Amino acid sequence: MRKMKGSQKQNKNKETIHYSLSANIEEMKQSFSYGLNKDFAMRTLKAKYNEKKACLFYYSSIVNGDTITTHIIKPLLEQTGEKLSNIVTIENVEEVTDFETAIQNINSGKVILFIEQDSTAYSMDAADFQHRTVTKSENERFIKGPQDAFTESLNTNISLIRKQLHNHQLVNESIQVGKRSKNEVNIIYVKDLVNNDILSNIKKRLDDIDVDSIRNIELLEQYLEERPYSLIPTILYTEKPDKATAFLEDGYVILLMNTSSACLIMPVTFWSFFHSPEDRYLRFLYGNFSRAIRLLCFYLTSMISATFVAIANFHSEMIPPDLLLAITASRERIPFPLIFEILIMEIAFELIREAGIRIPNPLGPTIGIVGALILGQAAVEANIISPIIVIIAALSGLSSFAIADLSMNFAVRILRFIFILAAASYGMLALTGAFLIIFMYAASIKSFGVPFFSPMSPEFVSTKDTIFRKILKKEIYRPGYLDLKDNRKRSE
Amino acid sequence: MQNKGFLRVREIAAMILLLVGVKLSDSTPALLTQKAQNGFWLIPVISFICIFPSFLLMLYLLKKYKDKNLVHLLEAILGKGAGKAVSFIIFLFAFLSMTLDSRNYIEQIKLLYFPESPTNIIFLIFMVVVFLGAKKGFEVIGYSSWIGLPLIKASAFTIIFLVLGDLVLQRIFPIFGSGLPIILKEGVVKASMFAELFYILIAYLATRETAKFNKGSIIAALIAFFEILIFYFIYITVFDYNSVAKIAFPFHDITQFISFGEFFTNIETLFMVFWLFAAFLKFIIFLYITTWIFGVIFEIKDFEPLLLPFGFLVGTIGLLPFNSVINELHFRETLLTIMSPFFIVLPVLLWVIALLKGGLRKK
Repeated sequence: MRKMKGSQKQNKNKETIHYSLSANIEEMKQSFSYGLNKDFAMRTLKAKYNEKKACLFYYSSIVNGDTITTHIIKPLLEQTGEKLSNIVTIENVEEVTDFETAIQNINSGKVILFIEQDSTAYSMDAADFQHRTVTKSENERFIKGPQDAFTESLNTNISLIRKQLHNHQLVNESIQVGKRSKNEVNIIYVKDLVNNDILSNIKKRLDDIDVDSIRNIELLEQYLEERPYSLIPTILYTEKPDKATAFLEDGYVILLMNTSSACLIMPVTFWSFFHSPEDRYLRFLYGNFSRAIRLLCFYLTSMISATFVAIANFHSEMIPPDLLLAITASRERIPFPLIFEILIMEIAFELIREAGIRIPNPLGPTIGIVGALILGQAAVEANIISPIIVIIAALSGLSSFAIADLSMNFAVRILRFIFILAAASYGMLALTGAFLIIFMYAASIKSFGVPFFSPMSPEFVSTKDTIFRKILKKEIYRPGYLDLKDNRKRSE
Repeated sequence: MQNKGFLRVREIAAMILLLVGVKLSDSTPALLTQKAQNGFWLIPVISFICIFPSFLLMLYLLKKYKDKNLVHLLEAILGKGAGKAVSFIIFLFAFLSMTLDSRNYIEQIKLLYFPESPTNIIFLIFMVVVFLGAKKGFEVIGYSSWIGLPLIKASAFTIIFLVLGDLVLQRIFPIFGSGLPIILKEGVVKASMFAELFYILIAYLATRETAKFNKGSIIAALIAFFEILIFYFIYITVFDYNSVAKIAFPFHDITQFISFGEFFTNIETLFMVFWLFAAFLKFIIFLYITTWIFGVIFEIKDFEPLLLPFGFLVGTIGLLPFNSVINELHFRETLLTIMSPFFIVLPVLLWVIALLKGGLRKK
C-alpha cells in the first residue's frame, strides 16, 4: 500500500512543466502548500528582455536574499538581451523540464524561474544554508599541525581539502541518497590513484541504500558498513581536513555530506585507527615515541584491570612478596571480592565519562570534583574500594583517552569488560584465550576487501607504516592493499 | 576455503614454526631421557636427519605433480582407493597425535597453574578457544601466527638469556649418554616428533606460488629444529639427566627457575602467557589441517563446519587416558614409534612408484 502511494506520488511529480505560467504557479503552490508554508516564497514580475510575465519560487530561509535581488530580480526587471543566460548574473543557470527536478532544486536551495509561454523552467543557485564558521578542532587535538576542523558545510569542507591538495585529479562526485529527503553524498577521491573496484563498491553500497532519508554522515556510516553487529569499526571518521587529505593522497576514498562536520574514510585497516596525523608532523623519533606510548595505552586500557584480576586471583605467586603484602594489607578491610571492586570502579569511571560529556558547560568543573572526591578518596576511606584498585582503574581510564578515534575507543572500552570477566573466570588461561579469539576475529575482518591487519599480515608493498613509521624520505610506496593505479609516492 | 592467496613465505613459516617448534615446551624430553639419559638432546639431530630428506622428497613430488595437495598427490601416485586409504592413515595419525598432545598441554596448564581445577573444564575452555580460532579460516590463522610469532619468540629468547648463567656445560658428558647405539635407535624411532611437517602439506596450495610454500616450510623446519636443539641442550645442562627424566615439563620448570633481577623472582606467569598463545595457535593450526585432510579425503568441499565435531572429539578422546603419565609414557610413545617408520619410508615409496609409473618424467 505504502509503496503504491509512493509510486503514485512519483508519477505525479514526473509531470513535465506546463506551457502556461498560471498552471505552473498553481502546481507549485499546491506542491509546497503555499500560504501554509511560511518560508516558501513566490515573486512574480515582468521580465524586461522578452516582455513576458515570470515567476520565481524559493525557500527564503535557505537562499541568500541579496543574491536574488541583485543577480536575478534586478537584471530581469532592467536588462535587455536575447537569452536569459545573458541577463541574470548568477553563477549558473540550468534548464529544468519536470516538476520533480524543480522541487528537488528548490529543496536544495535553488531559485526556480517560470516564464510565461515557456515549458522550461530555470534553476539558479542562490543557496545559503546556515553553518558554523571553520573552528579549531575540538575532538581531535594536535599540538603540532593545522588546527582547523571540518564544519557543517560541504563547500567549506571541500575548500579545506582542496586548499591542501592542489591536484586537478581530485574529483568530487555527488550521489543522492534517500527517498523522501534527497540528500547529497559527495565522494571525493584522486582519480588517477583510486582503485576502481573499491570506488564502485562504495557507489554500489550508496545506491543500494533504500531508506527515506539519511540526514548525516554519522548515520550513513551505519548504512554503509558490512557488519553492523561487529565490535570493530570498519570505517574511519574524522573531523580533521589534514587527516582526510593525507588519506586521499594515499588513494583512499572520502565521503562528505553537507550536514556533518566530519568525513568518512574508507577502506580502513587497524593502523588507520592507531595512527594520528601528528605522528607524521612530529620528527621521526618524537613521532615514534608517541606511537610507543599509544601502543602501551592500548594495552593498559584494554588489559590492565583484567591482568590485575588474573594475577591477584589466580597467579598471586607472581607478585613479589613485599608488594603482595602491601596489596593484601590494603584489601584487608574491603568486604567485596576483587572482581567486584574492579567492576565498581570501571563502571564508575564510565559513569563519570558519560556524564562528563552530557553535563552543561557551567557545571563542568563540578563533575571533576564530585568524581575525584567521591569515587577516589571517599570510597577508599569508607573501605569500599582499596587504593590499588583506584590506581588501576584510573590508569586504564586515563589511557583510554590516548585512543583518539571514537569508534576504536568504544571498542576497546567494551573489550576491557570482556577481558575482566574472562580473567575473573579462569585467570591467564581465559584471558589469553579471549584475547586470541578477539585478535583473530579482528584479523578476519575486511573493510571493503582490505584485511584489517594489512600491511603487517598479509604483507603488501607499502610505506611499512604500522606500529612505527620510517623517516619520510624512505617512504616510497603507497599502500599496496588498495591496489592503486600509481603505487609509487616517489621515484627512489 | 577462504583462500585468496594472501599467504606468503612468512605466514607459512610462522605456522610451521608454531606447529613444530612448540614441541620444545612439552614433555617430549622426559620421554626421550628415559632411555638415552643425558645424550637425549642429540636425539632431535638424528630424528631430523632421518625425516628431513623424506620431507624434502615430499616437497619435490608435490612440485613435480603440480597443483595437488597431500591427499591428491597420494591419490595421483597410488591410485584413488589406495591413495585415500593411506591418506586416512595419515589423518588418523594426525588426529591421534593432536588428541594425545592436547591432553599433554592441558596437563601442563592444570598441574602448573590451576592444580585445583577439574581437567574437563580446562579442556573445555581450551577447545572452545581452539575451535573459535580455527573457525576463522586458514588465512586468518596465518596472519595471527605471523603477528604473534615475534612476541612468542621474544619471550623464548628472554628465557634463554635469563637462564644462561645457570648452565653447567659439563652435564652434557658423556656426550652420547647411555651409548651411541641407543641414541641412534631412539633418534630413528622418535623421528616422528617432526611428523607435523607432513600434515601441513595439505595446505600446499594455500600460497599463490607454491615456491613460497616450499621456501617457508624449509626455513621453518630448520629454525624449529635448531630451537628444539637449543632448548634440549638447556634442559640437560640446567637440570642434568636424572631430573629431566623426572620433570614432566622442563620448559615450565625453567621459567620457574629463572628470575628477573632480585625483585621479580617469580615471572613464570609472564612466559606462560606467551606459551599459551603458542599452544593455542598450535592446536588451532593442528585442528584446522586435520579437519582439512579429512575433508579432502572424503571430498567435502566446505569442511569448516566439521571443526566443531572434531574439536569435541579431540576433547572427549583426550580425556580418556586415566592420567598424564599413562598418556605420555605409554600412548604417546607407542604412537611416535609407529609413526616414525611410516613417515620415513612413505615418501621414498611414493617416489619409487612415481618413478616406475613415469609420473615424474612427463612434467
